[in-house]
Amino acid sequence: MSDALIFQPKAGKPAPPSTLGVVGWVRGNLVSSLPNAALTLLGAYIVYAFFSAVIGWAIVDAVWEAQNRRECLDLVGRAGACWPGVKAWIPNLIYGLYPKDQVWRINAGFLVLVLWAVPLFLPWVRSKVMIGLGLVLLYPLLASYFFHGGDKGLVWGALIALGLTGFLWSWLTAIAEARREAPLLEGRRRWILLAGLYAVSLLVVSQWVLDEVQTRLWGGLFLTLVISGFGITVSLPAGILLALGRRSRMPLIAAVSTTFIELFRSVPLITVLFMFNTMLPLFLPAGVEVNRLLRAIVAVCLFSSAYMAEIVRGGLQAIPKGQYEAAAAVGLGFWQSTSLIVLPQALRIMIPSIVGSFIGLFKDTTLVSIIGLFDLLSMARAVGEDTVWLGLFIEPFFFVTMIYFVFCFSMSQYSFHLEARLGAGQRR
Amino acid sequence: MTTPILSNATARAIFYQALTVLGVVLLFWYTITNTVENMSQRGMSAGFDFLDVSAGFGIGFKLIDYREGDSYLRVFEVGIANTLLVAVIGIALATVIGLVVGLARLSGNWLISTIARWYIEMLRNTPLLLQIIAWYFGVFNLLPRPRDSVEWGGLFFLNNRGFYLPSPEPGQGFGLTLIALAAGIAAAFVVRAHARQRLFETGKLPRVIPAMIALVILPALLVFALTGQPLAWNVPVLRGFNFQGGTSVPPSFCALIIALSIYTSCFIAEIIRSGIQSVSHGQTEAARALGVKPSRTMRYIILPQAMRVIIPPLISQYLNLTKNSSLAIAIGFPDLVSVWMNTSLNQSGRAIPIVAMTMGFYCAVSLAVSLVMNRYNRRAMLSER
Repeated sequence: MSDALIFQPKAGKPAPPSTLGVVGWVRGNLVSSLPNAALTLLGAYIVYAFFSAVIGWAIVDAVWEAQNRRECLDLVGRAGACWPGVKAWIPNLIYGLYPKDQVWRINAGFLVLVLWAVPLFLPWVRSKVMIGLGLVLLYPLLASYFFHGGDKGLVWGALIALGLTGFLWSWLTAIAEARREAPLLEGRRRWILLAGLYAVSLLVVSQWVLDEVQTRLWGGLFLTLVISGFGITVSLPAGILLALGRRSRMPLIAAVSTTFIELFRSVPLITVLFMFNTMLPLFLPAGVEVNRLLRAIVAVCLFSSAYMAEIVRGGLQAIPKGQYEAAAAVGLGFWQSTSLIVLPQALRIMIPSIVGSFIGLFKDTTLVSIIGLFDLLSMARAVGEDTVWLGLFIEPFFFVTMIYFVFCFSMSQYSFHLEARLGAGQRR
Repeated sequence: MTTPILSNATARAIFYQALTVLGVVLLFWYTITNTVENMSQRGMSAGFDFLDVSAGFGIGFKLIDYREGDSYLRVFEVGIANTLLVAVIGIALATVIGLVVGLARLSGNWLISTIARWYIEMLRNTPLLLQIIAWYFGVFNLLPRPRDSVEWGGLFFLNNRGFYLPSPEPGQGFGLTLIALAAGIAAAFVVRAHARQRLFETGKLPRVIPAMIALVILPALLVFALTGQPLAWNVPVLRGFNFQGGTSVPPSFCALIIALSIYTSCFIAEIIRSGIQSVSHGQTEAARALGVKPSRTMRYIILPQAMRVIIPPLISQYLNLTKNSSLAIAIGFPDLVSVWMNTSLNQSGRAIPIVAMTMGFYCAVSLAVSLVMNRYNRRAMLSER
């Protein structure tokens, strides 16, 4: 049997060199045929024209040092950008008309936000849901005093202290979990600790005095972030409730939710803003003053809740009925099965659309400039109306566009990342 | 077995609904009593009687006739006409650009698809309002004066006062040409139906497109020549400091249309891309295995299936564009929100009827569109399995 023929495969031939490496890639993707090569040339021309125009204007021909617009125009005319105007206005673009000596409060407020959010990204922290919820619900209380300041009554003082407690508690939890001392934060000890923390916070807050900065002085990127932050925080829970209401088997609740959602989704945001701007003072008892910022925030929140509700409804519809039935069979009630079984799965599916809606909300905050708030866009417009920089429009718009782009683009990239990470167990 | 009232599902449902209704009623009662009191204090009225009153302000751009003495109702109509004009032109342009960009995004050419991708990312990650204002202040306001207009063939002129184009002025008997054109189009459709019939009977597709084009163009041209060419073009001419004659649209209109259609085209491009990608590759392979030509594969196999995925979000983008046209107010183009919810409201002080009418218009448009959409969806769904 030793001389039996055994199949001896020959070694495979290497792929033709023309399909390998850089050359292969270029042949395959850029010049695979004559029309394709022509398209590549066209594309190359578009890229060259775009970049040479933008770089030439923004960097090569740009003016970096000047006292006013006239000087810029005398130097390069309209061929180059006039950046000194934007540079001079950067504080206003970011903080609006906020008093210069108080600007540290905005920075400190955002630093607290970042510090509060740090435990969410630490791998060993387990109570991320609690910390995240605390951040969303309690941070606005703390931030309100940082940003607004002034006289705090008894109730507001207590709420601010609650915010401070939340911040300290998050970090205490994170540290305890890092050192595996979780039992410290369980049972009765936890409540004693919390009460102690709250007492300390009350003491701190009662001694803490900041000058009042009226909301009409708020502006720039800061105001944009405040409005969109409010909108994002309110619209997700409100949207979930509305979506559950719309899917409810109780006809009246479903009707109320559906009417609300359809009404707000079918009109443009600007009409909602106008409506609240002119009608909110009519709706409230005479003498109750609602400031412009609050009117805009209410309008933005209601509007984005309606959009969020439809996204959540889509996510809920994608969950198979078996999940509801299984939850009911195990004996879970409506709220338990919704919050423990259905929503966690639905939210994961919805991440791209939810983030998309947040991006939309962030972009839509520019509309408040039309009803007279000084957000980032109106600040950019104000540069060209400044007597020193009269007519300087394109440069501040370019700068502000970059800011919006960085925010929105990083949000969407983060959502891809999140989607990939959370979907890891689902991939086959 | 009796269940205690607290855990009886029906009783709880009734209780919760009663609570909701009570809440809604209380909210309405509270706002309405406050509103009535506030309005009587300020001497305002909520009636619609002001609609007949002369509005007394001019409107810079109007599609339908309007003079300063006309009533508020006419202002409302002018606003609606302008909004619809922006919507229709914007939708047409956005679809064309979106289609081109969407196909470029799908291109096998790496450079082209990368350019398309970054075009989409750049434009949809920046606010539309910013784009509108940038186009207005950054481009159309900086155009040369009428004397140094950018011109194309002495017919179209672009300057900082707007865009000027020739307007047609039909003379006696031009209606006959239109009738001939309509008849030609009808005949072309008959030919096409006949060709399809032949295709189903014999399996051969006759070449009918040249015949169809000839049927549409030739009779109309013939009638036009026979009736003595009854169509004159009113070409804009520079007189003094500005152009006379022709049709013109203001810079704000150009900025609005360009910004709206470019912004919406990004979303449309993504919709078209995902729609075409949603048709599984097996369909293309099956078609090739049957020997169907690539062009026909696209036309008869991929597109009909992709359309089902594309149409619903596409329509919702069209609706978005219509709603977004309300941003015209930022650059002073007189659309519905600008002339009605802003100027008329400030002048007449009738906040409630004006807000209700504006929202009513947008609600009516969306409701009508969603009704049509639901019917389409039902039809598209039926043809599945």
